[in-house]
Amino acid sequence: MFETVIGLEVHIQLNTATKLFCACPTSFAAHPNTYICPTCLALPGALPVVNETAVIKAMRFANAIGARINETSRFDRKSYFYPDSPSAYQITQFYEPILRNGTVRIDLEDGTQKSIRVHEAHLEADAGKNIHEGAVSRVDLNRAGTPLLEIVSAPDLRSAHEAIAYLKKLHATVRYLDISDANMQEGSFRCDVNVSVRPKGQEAFGTRVEIKNMNSFRFISEAIEYEVQRQIEAYEDGVYDDEVWQETRLWDPDRHETRSMRGKEEAADYRYFPEPDLRPVMITEAMQEAARELPELPDQKVARYTEKLGLKKYDALVITADKELAHYFEAMIDIGVPERSAVTWLTSELLGRLNKASLPITESPVDARTLGTLILKIEEGIVSGKGAKEVLDHLMKHEERDIDAIIEKLGLKQVSDDGAILAIIEKVLRANEDKVAEYRNGKEKLLGFFVGQVMKASRGAANPAKVNQLLKRRLIE
Amino acid sequence: MQIDATVLSGLEKLSRLQIDSDKQKNMIDQLSEIVTYVENLSELDTDHLDAAFSTLTGGTPLRQDDSRSDPSIPEAILKYAPESADDFFVVPAIID
Repeated sequence: MFETVIGLEVHIQLNTATKLFCACPTSFAAHPNTYICPTCLALPGALPVVNETAVIKAMRFANAIGARINETSRFDRKSYFYPDSPSAYQITQFYEPILRNGTVRIDLEDGTQKSIRVHEAHLEADAGKNIHEGAVSRVDLNRAGTPLLEIVSAPDLRSAHEAIAYLKKLHATVRYLDISDANMQEGSFRCDVNVSVRPKGQEAFGTRVEIKNMNSFRFISEAIEYEVQRQIEAYEDGVYDDEVWQETRLWDPDRHETRSMRGKEEAADYRYFPEPDLRPVMITEAMQEAARELPELPDQKVARYTEKLGLKKYDALVITADKELAHYFEAMIDIGVPERSAVTWLTSELLGRLNKASLPITESPVDARTLGTLILKIEEGIVSGKGAKEVLDHLMKHEERDIDAIIEKLGLKQVSDDGAILAIIEKVLRANEDKVAEYRNGKEKLLGFFVGQVMKASRGAANPAKVNQLLKRRLIE
Repeated sequence: MQIDATVLSGLEKLSRLQIDSDKQKNMIDQLSEIVTYVENLSELDTDHLDAAFSTLTGGTPLRQDDSRSDPSIPEAILKYAPESADDFFVVPAIID
């Protein structure tokens, strides 16, 4: 039996307005080389100046995971030679990172929580982008110098499942904190995985392999599963030392395998040394103050939803996994929608329709106030649950937002008026006098038949609860 | 630190320079001389001192997160680039 050991390095792009060391705007989709200047291109004579907001955002993250903020942190140069970095080095924090020793709590399938230690997180400048085109490569340096926070976990994760739970928690946390857009497709939330295996009970770690190039939770999970299997097989075949060595591998999503990126003899030599252009970052009381105020975070929301609102833990976890989903839910509660209905309508009805349309909650055609208003119409007996689903379908496709008018137009207005329902009941009973006699002779199962007939006669518009109640009363008479 | 052929070849790789074989011996001698000279510093007793990163005191000045961009700057930079096309810098193909 083997044990999997995983540590993760997550790069999140901080959502500041400007780059880490210059006033160039940070922008994902700008025309190539629009936001470049002598500083982010490392032209001679240009000097970096640290963006205070980037530092404060990193500090907010520290406070959110209970980490220690380093009151004096430093920047270092990491040398590497590649056209996406015009300086031929990256400014990062190698010796004294901005924060150390935090904890991220992940939720496991059995309902328990596990604490994953965060060793450190450091600020660093992102590189530009290369586009390879045959005999040449094109370089766009818009992204060069964008602030990143690299979050390094301890090797505390024991399965692909735990790794994904950790990433999702981290993802939710930085989104709640509003320190990053954390968009995996756009590369503002990137992850490198360190994975090794060891026989169960062995204390020493196995040889760790780093996997890069994964931009979805699914790929990360598949890459870990593949790599664990590869390492275990090498162990069992007695070729562990020949086939598993400390290296970087790339995940190939088309071939479903990890591939060696470079030979083992070519270990990178980064030659870190203190950045001579920057003095240490010293945290002031004003910065501490600015970083202290935190929004309600996922774990706190789960606690409030389960304890105060009476939600099931599972539902609370689903809703809080995404900041926008939680805000949507809370906006419905705010206008008086009962918690139970809010959960069902949000998680199954709305999300089901959004998934089908491949839309995120942020682009939902139906906002929380509109859906909430619709649910309240069910509560008031104006429309049935079934009818409300039709209204929701209509809302997904049309701009119109007057719920009452839509209910009316679609002929879904529920008849709750006793007189109108009784009139239909009379008609149904008269047409089925034989069954009425049977019912009165004890065949009470027939109640369902009568309800069905009345609903049919009302073309589904009668309030079923009312029908049931009035029918029973009428049949006893 | 001993400078030998292995170290030199490592340095060649890191600096993207190639030293002709007839000049290697001379280069090793010169580098050794430089390193030996700098090693004089290790005679100082620094056991009771913290590492100093700068002769300046105090922290680095910080900048407010206000953006500034002037289209003439990238324009000028691209103009002086050895090669550019469609506002990209163009470099020899990078073999991954």
